[in-house]
Amino acid sequence: MERFIADLVQGLDSGRIDRREFCQAVALAAAVYGAGDAAQAQVQRGFKIIGINHMSYTCPDYAKARDWYASVLNMKSEGTRDDGKRANLMFGPEPGKGGSFLVARNPSSTASGSAGVKPGAEAVIDHICYTIPNWDEARVRATLKAKGLDVTGRDGSLHVYDPFDYDVQIASAAEENAFRR
Amino acid sequence: MEGFVAKQVHDYQNGKISRRRLVEILTFAATTAYAGKSAGAAEQPGLNAALVNHVSYTCPDFRRAADWYSMVFNLDQVGATARDVALPFGKKGEKPYGVSADDVPLTHIICRTRSRDASAGNGPPRRKANAVIDHIAFTVADFDRERAKAQLAAVGVKNVRDGGPFSVYVDDPFGYEVQIAGLGVTAICGAEARATCSDNR
Repeated sequence: MERFIADLVQGLDSGRIDRREFCQAVALAAAVYGAGDAAQAQVQRGFKIIGINHMSYTCPDYAKARDWYASVLNMKSEGTRDDGKRANLMFGPEPGKGGSFLVARNPSSTASGSAGVKPGAEAVIDHICYTIPNWDEARVRATLKAKGLDVTGRDGSLHVYDPFDYDVQIASAAEENAFRR
Repeated sequence: MEGFVAKQVHDYQNGKISRRRLVEILTFAATTAYAGKSAGAAEQPGLNAALVNHVSYTCPDFRRAADWYSMVFNLDQVGATARDVALPFGKKGEKPYGVSADDVPLTHIICRTRSRDASAGNGPPRRKANAVIDHIAFTVADFDRERAKAQLAAVGVKNVRDGGPFSVYVDDPFGYEVQIAGLGVTAICGAEARATCSDNR
């Protein structure tokens, strides 16, 4: 790059190119250099993650899960995607703008391309924690109690079980934050 | 409701409305009343889940898992202990994508090694669930399927499967299935929107 610029300067000084051409050439060189660097970095550094797109939750009765998550965590079931075997439960920002969804599904509705439930996997996601904004301890506990749920955990970081005994954590930003562990 | 039904029956018996009309009216009234009750029940206030706070990923070797997720998704590792480490989806001080509230922190993965029945909260051992998160999908910026496959191949990830035109599936080092998708893969994409999003979720 340095040599290239030096040649351009020489061209400018000698009158071979004018000032406008010089500026255009430098700008173009910088853009090409930057793009190449970025492309290389993308391969080397991995993807730029934006967030959780969705979680595929397989259970014996998707409708029961759908109703529970809608009731307890205000998730919205996308009606057009409820086919009697699964439902997409939206939460967070708008779809396509950072929103996530939980796919509650019966065992028979594995997504095409997905291997579905893999008994041989050595890893498990043993719980999901959801952030509740504007956390009010008394209100949160009262809400969970009103839903008939047994609550464990500590203030600002509570656990309940869904209808299929899956552990669901509910937390405030103050108590559950990667940078305050 | 009873008064309404009585009036309709009265009208029917006096020939003001036909039998068919009576059935239509009562059917509509009954289903509307039922729907109203259902809607009322659904409106009972729940908690407003703003975002996933974290995903608790338990495996035999959390360091190995963390290194893999760091490599593939360019994630830093913070707050490591002897049993776990957190991988936030961004740098300290950043806000989650699409979130303006100040009290919603960055989503993170906690890679950990522990017993699968480790206590949930401060309670007794975790119950054995009759449900499973069988895969998780991450949204990444500027997703392009073929470029994604090339990127994954470049970092040594094998067995990459197409998940429709707008996502791919891979297995992490412990055989857990991970989907990588673009922003266009959303909850509302259906058959009518296949041109703009994956139908494979």
